[in-house]
Amino acid sequence: MSDFAPLGELFASERSVYMGGPIDRQKLWYWVAGEVGSWSLQGFGSWGIETHDGSFVGQVGINKPSHFPEVELGYLIMPEFEGMGIAFEAAQAARAWAFEELKLESLVSYIDPKNVRSIALATRLGGVIDPDGSLPDGETAQETAVYRHRRAA
Amino acid sequence: MTLTNAPRLETDNLILRGPEMADVEAFIAFSADEARSIGFGYIPQRDEAWRWFALNIGHWHIHGYGYLTIEDKVTGKPAGICGIWNPEGWPEPELGWVVYEGYEGKGIAYEAALAARAWAYSDLGFTTMTSNIVPSNTRSIALAKRLGATFEREYDNVQMGLDHLYRHPAPEALL
Repeated sequence: MSDFAPLGELFASERSVYMGGPIDRQKLWYWVAGEVGSWSLQGFGSWGIETHDGSFVGQVGINKPSHFPEVELGYLIMPEFEGMGIAFEAAQAARAWAFEELKLESLVSYIDPKNVRSIALATRLGGVIDPDGSLPDGETAQETAVYRHRRAA
Repeated sequence: MTLTNAPRLETDNLILRGPEMADVEAFIAFSADEARSIGFGYIPQRDEAWRWFALNIGHWHIHGYGYLTIEDKVTGKPAGICGIWNPEGWPEPELGWVVYEGYEGKGIAYEAALAARAWAYSDLGFTTMTSNIVPSNTRSIALAKRLGATFEREYDNVQMGLDHLYRHPAPEALL
């Protein structure tokens, strides 16, 4: 729960606009508790990312709330730790875990088409836009693009 | 698979136990029913209701308590939820209850709330307990009073807005 305070600052700010924010602390607590519950309910969920000195620098997650048609690989990095390749490193580890442990053939990342940094990262990870991929319930192609990560043969 | 470390509490007519995957649909149906869920938190969207179900499980992991599923001994089905709730922004931990369609008017909430409150005092070590009730929820207010709780103050709840805080008798007053 020590991750909560820094996440609270991030989600109160405009930087959270592509993460579903901005949202208040109460709603964010519900989100974090939902992510904790996901591990028990589904056997996967979100990780906090720490550097080796124990600093909380972001989150990476394997998520499938009920309105997602497929399992998603998602990531967020605290502002002061951007540009260090952390999301790339963490997303690779989470994706490898999902392919190995969950035996998934592919994963998707749902990304706002305006979120160029996230798209650059998805592409660097080997994700490819999937024009036929189903969108989360209630979302449109203007809001969300599907980037697909396939398990290496 | 057990999703939480919740206890199993048995009363005359009910079993209170941790939430399990099979309970999801009953909760989603309740929370989408505005007339019933307005005092709890009306959740019209299915994905939001599912998220609430997941966050209650997270609540158990974070706090060691949360909402229990009330199982009716006769039907074996979920009849509601009852437990101790304390998310971010709450004034203090509260005892909450909700009864699903078809199970109202049978004293289920009273029976469940007595058991959950006794568990909170004896096992969790709480020395006081509140219930937050929106002023329009007259049935819940009546139940709070039947449980011995008294009105303490009006305040602005981060989720529910204008809210009334009721305080339950302390553990020693119930012995």
